[in-house]
Amino acid sequence: MVGVLIRMKWRVLRHSLRGKEAVLTVGGAILGLLAAVLTVLVAAADFPTPGVDTDVLAGLLLLWTLGWLFAPLFTGGGDETLRPEHFALLPFTPRQLAAGLLGAAFLGVPAIVTALAFCALVVHAAGSLPAVVVAVLALPLQLALAVLLSRVAMAGLGAALQSRRGRDLGVLLAALVGVMVFFAQALVQTLGPVVVDGDSPALTAVLRWVPSGWGPVAVDAAGRGEWPLVLAALAGLVVLGGGLLAVWGVLLHRRTTRVPVNVGPSARGSGSVARRLPATPVGAVVAKELRTWFRDPRRRVALLSAVIVALVASVPPALQGEGGGGIPFTGLVVMTVGCLLAGNLYGMDGSALWLTLVTPEAAAADVRGRQLAWLLLITPVAAVLVVVLPALTEPATYPWVLALAPALAGGGSGLVVLLSVFTAYPLPDQRANPFSAGNNPGLLRVLLQLAITLLLAVVALPVVAVVWLGSGVAPLEWLGVPTGVAVGVLCWWWWGRIAARRLAERGPELLAVVAKHV
Amino acid sequence: MTDALGLTRLLKRFDRTVAVDHIDLSVPTGSFFGLVGPNGAGKTTTLSMAVGLLRPDAGTARILGVDVWEDPSRAKALVGVLPDGMSLPERLTGAELLTYLGLLRGLPAATVAARVDELLTVLELADARNRLVIDYSAGMRKKIGLAAALLHAPKLLVLDEPFEAVDPVSAATIRTILQRFVAAGGAVVLSSHVMALVEQLCSHVAVISRGRVVAAGPVAQVRGETSLEEAFVHIVGGRTGGTEGLSWLES
Repeated sequence: MVGVLIRMKWRVLRHSLRGKEAVLTVGGAILGLLAAVLTVLVAAADFPTPGVDTDVLAGLLLLWTLGWLFAPLFTGGGDETLRPEHFALLPFTPRQLAAGLLGAAFLGVPAIVTALAFCALVVHAAGSLPAVVVAVLALPLQLALAVLLSRVAMAGLGAALQSRRGRDLGVLLAALVGVMVFFAQALVQTLGPVVVDGDSPALTAVLRWVPSGWGPVAVDAAGRGEWPLVLAALAGLVVLGGGLLAVWGVLLHRRTTRVPVNVGPSARGSGSVARRLPATPVGAVVAKELRTWFRDPRRRVALLSAVIVALVASVPPALQGEGGGGIPFTGLVVMTVGCLLAGNLYGMDGSALWLTLVTPEAAAADVRGRQLAWLLLITPVAAVLVVVLPALTEPATYPWVLALAPALAGGGSGLVVLLSVFTAYPLPDQRANPFSAGNNPGLLRVLLQLAITLLLAVVALPVVAVVWLGSGVAPLEWLGVPTGVAVGVLCWWWWGRIAARRLAERGPELLAVVAKHV
Repeated sequence: MTDALGLTRLLKRFDRTVAVDHIDLSVPTGSFFGLVGPNGAGKTTTLSMAVGLLRPDAGTARILGVDVWEDPSRAKALVGVLPDGMSLPERLTGAELLTYLGLLRGLPAATVAARVDELLTVLELADARNRLVIDYSAGMRKKIGLAAALLHAPKLLVLDEPFEAVDPVSAATIRTILQRFVAAGGAVVLSSHVMALVEQLCSHVAVISRGRVVAAGPVAQVRGETSLEEAFVHIVGGRTGGTEGLSWLES
């Protein structure tokens, strides 16, 4: 059975190795190989303090294992080449199916690259024959552990994700993990040297006691002839792996025998604002947009990320004493990032665009409504930051901040629809798995987006010029504020008009782009 | 008298395949027009071009004499559309969706409120009016789509697979509403795979195969002495398989 599944996966992989897909796979394989070689090289390196080499190896294996655990959140729900649903009607026990899928999971770029990286265990053992034998035994166990952890975690999440509520949560979770990467990077940078110097016994113990460290511990113990420890570590890997396999079997069984349930109404959010809007075409679009912003997790993530990215970009450097001047401008960063992250409005709505296209004269109302809704959401947050932060840090920046804020608000509201119309790219169906990312806009489109975003710099230019010329002269430097307002209004109107024209003229083409299945 | 829908030499290519090959079609006013054809024959492509969702490479589409691609505003006011497999604003409730569409079309708020209530009741969606569209079943999605198509009182309805994945009760509701629409002087164009349904419901039918109209006219004329299903298989030149081999099944 395992053999059949492996052959099946091999076929599917070969069919999918075409064109763009192949480029991605080969690129990923090269990056993975580099990481694997790096791991083996570090494992082969000499460390002055005895025992540290094992700690470092345990740390590296921990990173690889965590990679298996979290990577599926970014790459689209893990490897779904062979879906358990395909085998639901065949007479297998869940455990058999799990074992078969595990076998198939070893065939694939990630598993092979990881196996190469885990050869670090053998390198680590070099010089002692018993240790090499133990390393060769530990390698597949350690690899199976990483693969199984990843599969069980995704299967567990997947069970929760079958309902729409769960899927909505999943999108937030993925965004959270994305932000956590920043912190993880900082963590490795701080803790790495501590491990290498062997300074922290507690940290060392943790690295060795978590299951990803059991292989290195066994190899290390074999080198010193401590056979009970070797046996305990290897047996631990076998037992844990077997347990995970059983759990995965149960989860697979559940996945193939239960149907998703959608519970109850959840039509909350923005009702009070929406009811006060005028009963005009533009008002209707604003109401629809506000409701969607509050209810669609993808859109909520875009807004939240804007605030978080702005804070991450300006606060930590300030805390480290480098460029504390960034904080007063956080509100402006929120608007810029919020514009870039929201710049795929039609992609987020997908093929629902057809409703706008079959409605006469709806393009202008649609674009203006989307602009206003974006302003209504982003301005309050940005305004608070713009008004409060300079007072807390550097009041002298007020003429700059207050002049740039209206310019960027207007410019951003123009840019968000320009981006949405000119650089739209399809997102997965809202009814699909939220982790199936597919939100890969392609390199050219990303460059185009960045180029269009540079327009914001153009918006800022006249404002900066006015404030700079008048700087120091009390009434003159405040001339930047009316300049900013004028520039903002102009960009809102002008760029919105371009976007509306484009939507009216090329609507069917835009629909073809955003309705594509990814 | 102008046709409710008139397609002339409509052409669409995707890369090298010709999806719709210079189709001519005229749907008389007051007719209930069925569009049938095998999978991939170009039904959806044709209907998309007829209502302004897909730009044709050549040819014209006219709705009650108004060119869809030259004068889209007037044409779009005359037609109600229900495409197949397209998203809706998923995070709105049924009532919010219809209200949004009514206001977007510039109808007065009071008119919109009255029509939304009436449509939801007639289509038996009143219980689901405060549920998000994303949580609707396939049949409910078709019904809310039909409500959206009817909201502005069009003269022509263009429906792509309106009965696909719809349960018999909802199908009966949709059928009744469409029959009333035609009886009141409107015209309906729908595509379907179900010959029995087209035979029973439609006054006219066109058979599309490989991007061309291979037969069109009143149902009685197209089907002749046989059933529409038999006539269809004959017209598209298909051969019903399933009789050879498989001896091991008869143990």
